[in-house]
Amino acid sequence: MLLRAATLALEALTLGGVAFLLIAALPARIRAGTVTRLRTVASWSALALAVAQILSVATSSAILIGGSGFTLRDVATADFFLLGLVLAGSALALFWLMRASSRWTLFACAPFALLVLAASVGMSHAAARLDHRPLLLSLTGLHHIGTAAWIGAMPFLLMALRREENQVTAGRYVRRFSAMAMTSVSLLVFGGVGMAFFYVGSWQGMYGTTYGIMLAAKIYLLLLILGMGAGNFFLVRQIERAPAPLLVRLRRFSEAEIGLGFTAILAAASLTSQPPAVDLTQDRLTSHEIVERMRWEEPRMTSPPLQALVPPTSMQVAVQSSLFSSGNENDANDRAWSEYNHHWAGLIVLVAGLLALLARSKRFPWAHHWPLLFIALAVFIILRADPENWPLGPRPFWASFSSPDVLQHRMYALLITAFAIFEWAVETGRVKSRISSYVFPLMCAAGGALLLTHSHALGNIKDEMLAEMSHTPIALLGATAGWSRWLELRLPQKRDSKIASFVWPVCLVLVGIVLLDYREA
Amino acid sequence: MKKVGSFPRQLVLVAVFAMLVLAPRFASAHAVLVTSSPAAHATVKGPEIAINLKFNSRIDGAHSRLYLVDPSGKVEMLTLAPQEAPDSLAAPAVKVTAGAYTIRWQATAADGHITRGEIPFTVQ
Repeated sequence: MLLRAATLALEALTLGGVAFLLIAALPARIRAGTVTRLRTVASWSALALAVAQILSVATSSAILIGGSGFTLRDVATADFFLLGLVLAGSALALFWLMRASSRWTLFACAPFALLVLAASVGMSHAAARLDHRPLLLSLTGLHHIGTAAWIGAMPFLLMALRREENQVTAGRYVRRFSAMAMTSVSLLVFGGVGMAFFYVGSWQGMYGTTYGIMLAAKIYLLLLILGMGAGNFFLVRQIERAPAPLLVRLRRFSEAEIGLGFTAILAAASLTSQPPAVDLTQDRLTSHEIVERMRWEEPRMTSPPLQALVPPTSMQVAVQSSLFSSGNENDANDRAWSEYNHHWAGLIVLVAGLLALLARSKRFPWAHHWPLLFIALAVFIILRADPENWPLGPRPFWASFSSPDVLQHRMYALLITAFAIFEWAVETGRVKSRISSYVFPLMCAAGGALLLTHSHALGNIKDEMLAEMSHTPIALLGATAGWSRWLELRLPQKRDSKIASFVWPVCLVLVGIVLLDYREA
Repeated sequence: MKKVGSFPRQLVLVAVFAMLVLAPRFASAHAVLVTSSPAAHATVKGPEIAINLKFNSRIDGAHSRLYLVDPSGKVEMLTLAPQEAPDSLAAPAVKVTAGAYTIRWQATAADGHITRGEIPFTVQ
């Protein structure tokens, strides 16, 4: 899944680079030094895409050869292998063409960019559909083009603006980019709505399946980016009036848009690993089940004893059984244990969010210590998230790292501690460097993006979907919090950053409330 | 043009690294089993059974596998019959004795996603 996310993100970036150079930069007569810089970045992106695709093909091939007795010759005839090679080969050609300096090599990139696009679409859901295959392949293609020429091209716009000394030239290519972005958004939305019609099929498919929930997450991110994009559109129209400050604002909003855009691409990658909602006719959630689960109940503040939990199996058995089945059913004590964890975590985040809100006022200087609460959260995660492992369970410290869940929880704990310390030092004025202040927003945004792909093996599809129902809003609030904090720190005007400064503490409070209402039954 | 702080490239690298290290486990459940014969948890009559699986999407039959786990836990790889439809996998009749069996399937969808699953059943 992560390789799929990497290839989708790098595909958008590489094709976005080609689109920006050919459609915005060259016609706007951008200076040669900047073109060289943009070509270098696009070339490295193309190389990274080729590497990610080769790794992706190698991983699938290894699964087929290693565990299933296929030979390399057998695997080499599979569609994914051939299309993967076409994609990687075209990306390598783009790398080589972007490294060259002549103008014609830039135009020669276009057919290879189309080959990358075609191969990627050939490995999408659409290729495996039984009905409406050509139509779905076309809609997927439009969706990819829209993503690349908007989200993927935006980093190149920012890089060009950073190096730009001539504001008239800047205005020229910003306007060209703006027109390209508007067209791209239309293609993206058209392709997306079309695919949703065929892949989701009904309203219940939207709210009753994991595919639908992830699609809703993508729609939320799209609306957020579009909101900022609309602001940018009006900025571009006034750019002649006061170019310098408006271009700085444009750049800051674009940074947040890029972050949220790539979060949406990660959500898209997890969508490609899900069966389309229309195919899941059983085990869908009903609106009644969702309302029942979301109904507020008093948080569980007492824990069942450790001895009451289902005894752990050995690590080898756990890893083996996870290959073909989706986890074990939990009993009431396991669920109570997990709910207790979520509710205490929620309380900690809620209090941290409220203190962060108070810290906006000069009257509560002590509230600036709110990040320290996250260290308590990290300790809590280490102690209780995986009771079958060290320190509470029998599985030893190092051996327990072979379980992906445990590794993930421990890395989360480590990251939370790191950003808590950095943010505490920033909030209390102990550290003045700008870079330190970016740790919190970037970790928050990355954590939110990752949570979008976190799955729970609860052994029951409905329980898994209900768990997802609470984790997806947390992920989206995390991404919103991260990028609003980023804007607070980066926006040059006090009035703009003041609005952003209230958004992220509110997001923290909401995350706390969602966690406090988390239930597993 | 006024420059407002440089872009913290090191931090972006840290964020990317964190995302790679935190590689999330994700059930790649692309191809969904729609129906099967024998059905999951069904009881069937021996001594010969035909195995037929139908999926929600096009399956690359040449790159998919079916295994039969017998009551003693021995795993046998089944020879696949030629695909009758793009969404099906089948194995010719298999000789079985009474007991609890499991079919393990590994389907490669036409888009390259590999999905696995189990169908436990009992032979009378």
